[in-house]
Amino acid sequence: MASDVKGLLPADLGQLVNECNVLVVGAGGIGCELLKNLVVFGLKNVHIIDLDTIEVSNLNRQFLFRREHVGRPKSIVAKESALLFNPKVCITAYHDSITESKFDVNFYKQFNVVLNALDNRTARSHVNRMCLAAKIPLVESGTAGYKGNVSFHMQGISECYDCTTKPHQKTFPGCTIRNTPSEPIHCIVWAKHLFNQLFGISDPDEDVSPDSSDPEAVGDAGKIALEESNDTNGQVKEKVSTRQWAQSHEYDAQKLFQKLFHDDIKYLLSMENLWQKRKPPTPLDWNDLPDVIAGSSSIDQQTVTALKDQRVWSMQECSQVFKQSINQLKEKLENEKDLIWDKDDDPAMDFVTACSNVRAHVFGIQQKSRFDTKSMAGNIIPAIASTNAIVAGLIVTMACKVLKKDYYKCNTIFVMPRPTAVKKDLFPLDQIVGPNPKCYVCAEKPEIIVKMDLEKMTVRILGDKVLKTELCMIAPDVEIDDGQGTILISSEEGETDDIADKLLKNFIKDGTRLKCDDFLQNYQINITVAAMVDEEDEKDREKSGILFEIIGDRTQLNAKEQVAEGKKTDDQEQPSTSKKANPVHDDEDDLMIIEPTTVSEVQVAGTKRRLDETEEDTPSKKRKVESETSEVIDID
Amino acid sequence: MFGLLPLSTMMGFKMMVSASPSPRSPEITEKTKKYDRQLRLWGDHGQSRLEKSHVCLINSSATGTEILKSLVLPGVGSFTIVDGYKVTQEDIGINFFLDQDSLGKSRAEYTTKLLLELNTDVNGEAIEEHPEMLLKQNPNFFNHFSVVIGCQLDEKTLVTISQVLWESQVPFVYVNCIGFLGWVRVQVNELAIIESHPDSTIQDLRLDVPFPELIAYMDALTINSREVAQKTPWLVLLFKAIQKFSTPSTGDSMDTTGCHPCHMKSQEKQEFKKYLKQYLCEVGLKDTDEEFDEVVKAANSALSPSMINSNVQALLDDPKSTKPEKTKFWVMCGALREFVANNGQLPVRGVLPDMMADSDRYINLQSVYREKASKDAEDILGRSQQLLKQAGLQGLTIVEEDVKLFCKECQNLRLIRGYPMYEEINSVPVEILQELAQNTEDSDQEMMYYLLLRGLLRFQGDYHTYPGLLDRDVEPDINRFKGTFTKLLNDWNATISAKEDCIHELCRYGACELPSVAAFIGGCAAQEVIKIITKQYVPLDNTFIYNAMQSTSSSFKMTRANS
Ligand SMILES: [Zn+2]
Repeated sequence: MASDVKGLLPADLGQLVNECNVLVVGAGGIGCELLKNLVVFGLKNVHIIDLDTIEVSNLNRQFLFRREHVGRPKSIVAKESALLFNPKVCITAYHDSITESKFDVNFYKQFNVVLNALDNRTARSHVNRMCLAAKIPLVESGTAGYKGNVSFHMQGISECYDCTTKPHQKTFPGCTIRNTPSEPIHCIVWAKHLFNQLFGISDPDEDVSPDSSDPEAVGDAGKIALEESNDTNGQVKEKVSTRQWAQSHEYDAQKLFQKLFHDDIKYLLSMENLWQKRKPPTPLDWNDLPDVIAGSSSIDQQTVTALKDQRVWSMQECSQVFKQSINQLKEKLENEKDLIWDKDDDPAMDFVTACSNVRAHVFGIQQKSRFDTKSMAGNIIPAIASTNAIVAGLIVTMACKVLKKDYYKCNTIFVMPRPTAVKKDLFPLDQIVGPNPKCYVCAEKPEIIVKMDLEKMTVRILGDKVLKTELCMIAPDVEIDDGQGTILISSEEGETDDIADKLLKNFIKDGTRLKCDDFLQNYQINITVAAMVDEEDEKDREKSGILFEIIGDRTQLNAKEQVAEGKKTDDQEQPSTSKKANPVHDDEDDLMIIEPTTVSEVQVAGTKRRLDETEEDTPSKKRKVESETSEVIDID
Repeated sequence: MFGLLPLSTMMGFKMMVSASPSPRSPEITEKTKKYDRQLRLWGDHGQSRLEKSHVCLINSSATGTEILKSLVLPGVGSFTIVDGYKVTQEDIGINFFLDQDSLGKSRAEYTTKLLLELNTDVNGEAIEEHPEMLLKQNPNFFNHFSVVIGCQLDEKTLVTISQVLWESQVPFVYVNCIGFLGWVRVQVNELAIIESHPDSTIQDLRLDVPFPELIAYMDALTINSREVAQKTPWLVLLFKAIQKFSTPSTGDSMDTTGCHPCHMKSQEKQEFKKYLKQYLCEVGLKDTDEEFDEVVKAANSALSPSMINSNVQALLDDPKSTKPEKTKFWVMCGALREFVANNGQLPVRGVLPDMMADSDRYINLQSVYREKASKDAEDILGRSQQLLKQAGLQGLTIVEEDVKLFCKECQNLRLIRGYPMYEEINSVPVEILQELAQNTEDSDQEMMYYLLLRGLLRFQGDYHTYPGLLDRDVEPDINRFKGTFTKLLNDWNATISAKEDCIHELCRYGACELPSVAAFIGGCAAQEVIKIITKQYVPLDNTFIYNAMQSTSSSFKMTRANS
């Protein structure tokens, strides 16, 4: 190793390298390269943690893994492979989730520096908070195709990972997904929800049947249904689940098809208000499927490419794949209680491709090939070995500066596929930016305002969507600041289950302050509740289906970031904010690429949680933004 | 809620299924799965080029090994390592792949064995020999490689290899890592890139120069109600608005003085936009309609002139387009040149952006563009084949698929013409010296490091060693290096001098590669090799200098000095 080669490292650095203790979070694309660099650099103590097991699609870049390792834990195999090359290093491997409570502040305190090689925002945000709490420097990194970035975060010196708003996990209003899709991604999200409804753990937010409570449709048949669905207690009534229905019909493909793409569509058509300004959908009949492909430019690609799954399927083909995949999934279900959607599982991917394409056809939306559908459904970011090697080299270079406490030399560095226009630089540097005083994480007393629809939101949605998904808390406790310390949400399992599905209006009102606390993250934030007023909603029909909106300091943050970004880009026309965008996720200007391999599942406290439905990237529009501004990249 | 089907239909359906071939499931091979994440970057045709390629690495140093690692993993076809050295203790210290057992063994063989373990799809061979010796035995040894990568080359070998490869037109990537410095140099004679993957592609809508089929299609459409307007693609509405706007007979139109909205300056464009809104109201749309907004928004980017950019124009003006040489690219450029001379425009791309519309109407509009694109591609194909015949370029075939891709990307064609490194090494870096003389600021540190690296090459040529090699005393070497460097600057008539601390740092590391720099530079060089092999994205043109101490880097082009 390098520290053994006499005179190679300056004496001071050599000693630091010998004595330091480093945590590598993630043993994926960057993690493998990083572990190699650290080992060869001569570090004596490295801890590496990763929850995932090795998949075939990792092998094109994660060079510590071989075909025979598929299915084994990444962290363990990475350690074994690295030790083969250098048995003198002490590597501690954890096959575990970094968000586990055993990795508490004290655990972090043993390290000189934490190196993130992660692939999702929740874990990144979590490690950021742990490092803030433990006062340990953090080097953050990501890659996407030929692009990448490395940045430094240290309490009081530079901004924290959450100081600038990060691109959110994209979500769409429920009504758009269930009633009025207009883009391919809407159909794909719907198809993934359908998969979960039929074969997996169903989430009430992922309902796929027509939503008669759509404010736009009010006045139609839907109104009655709306009234029926809420009983007087404000508790959402149980109804026959899609899965129960499918089971009672033995997953008969034809019957399912008929329900989903004929009967449900007819029902949607009965909500006439919806179609006053839109092109109404056309129900499809299993026995009379057209052999045409809904208008799309992808036909062009078909001639250029040879890959079989890059072709757009006709309705005939879709129906056959639909049937075949349902049969395969049904068989699987005999041995497993619930299936978890996985883009690399062929029947699951076939099912989503077929369903989303049929739905797209029904609504006259451009169809997508299986290859493209996979990209969108799995939020797949291209990943290659060389970019990971570049980024891992940069991480070690930065880590050396951190060890030497040269914090002010740790500028954020970007990896670009082509020289930037301004400095002709392939690796532009950013200034070191101090902490954002209004950061909702590292500010002294973080405060935000959340507008909520108290009539429709349940306590569970507050916990899952606002606190966990948006604010990246892992195990939040929420206390109502009413002088009595009423507990609304408890991190103790089961403690607040009885009220989880009750509507918020039963507990809080406009102006209520909520004290939210994540004990593990040592993170507290106060939320001021602003009730969403109904009339407002009706005025802006695009907001239909939106349950909450984070405003206040977060919005200011957004504004600040836009200005900063406007400067960086060479005055390309900024894309106007789409009307369809959910204000909570006003991320048209955010460029985030979340790495593919593990985004679909994050293990939290022993249970597999599915975060995937939110990870998607919108297709064409967003991709353009990414390449134009190409400043923030986050990933692998 | 769920309709029941008559039994007979069910029966009929069952029979139909059993009679038809088994459902067509997409074929996903193990290989497709393994390479999934990179296929999304360069496609299966890029992958196929990679798999057919054969790269050669001269000297499997730590950096060299890093480069090959990043080529073996994505599935390069095969590699050859040419390396006459034995593994030393230093090699083991800085190269992750070498263990204690490898000490004293052939570096080529040991590295090859370990690299092959990374990917069973790849072939590799080791040649334990110095490159000059190989060339003595077989002057054509390097001619058949797709790319040759050279690491740890001394000045003389570098010049020899560079010249041999330039003459045989084999792309060469020179890589040099010393301490905290990295140097990557790409030498290609000529590299034509069809798929340059630009950040953004300009929409090709021909609103300012509509082709007859488009005019005919548009003329046949009438928009007489809000309902129809809502189902009509924005492109049609925009086209009609422009048509009306530009027709003088329309009483309410501006004085256009022949200026098409696509060619207007931004202020005039505002005027047109006002008119557009007025037009949309005339056909029945309300300004609260989604479709109304969509047209107005789309107009921003759609109203751009159809033109030929300077990169493409340079290709058309190139002598090789007039008299194509025997490559598909130049023959197609020749055909393109004729096409443009006849039509005044590039072939239609035939790709429309997504739009909100009734799908039939969208498909129809799309097919107007697509059919025109096919027709134009056919024209190019015909001309290409004609050119092949005329020039007697037998043995070269151009097929529909080639032409289709070429036409689709013809806005983005790029050409890199290289400058041989052996000439660079034998000449004065005039531009760098000028640049440095003008800017005494620190901003051009990388250029100074370029000169120092040239100094190192010269030093190595003179003394057959590097300054500050590990276990020696550094001080005398620093003075010797200063001597070499000053002499070099004098030879170049340069009026600048290097900073003391730069020289000290440089000498302190000796010839050693730092692992993190090797990893970084290895990744950079591998990316350039992949770009050259896949002929996608634009490779480095042609020099890159990295300084790990400051984390700064710079890329610039070394060119033949005008004398
Ligand atoms: Zn912060």
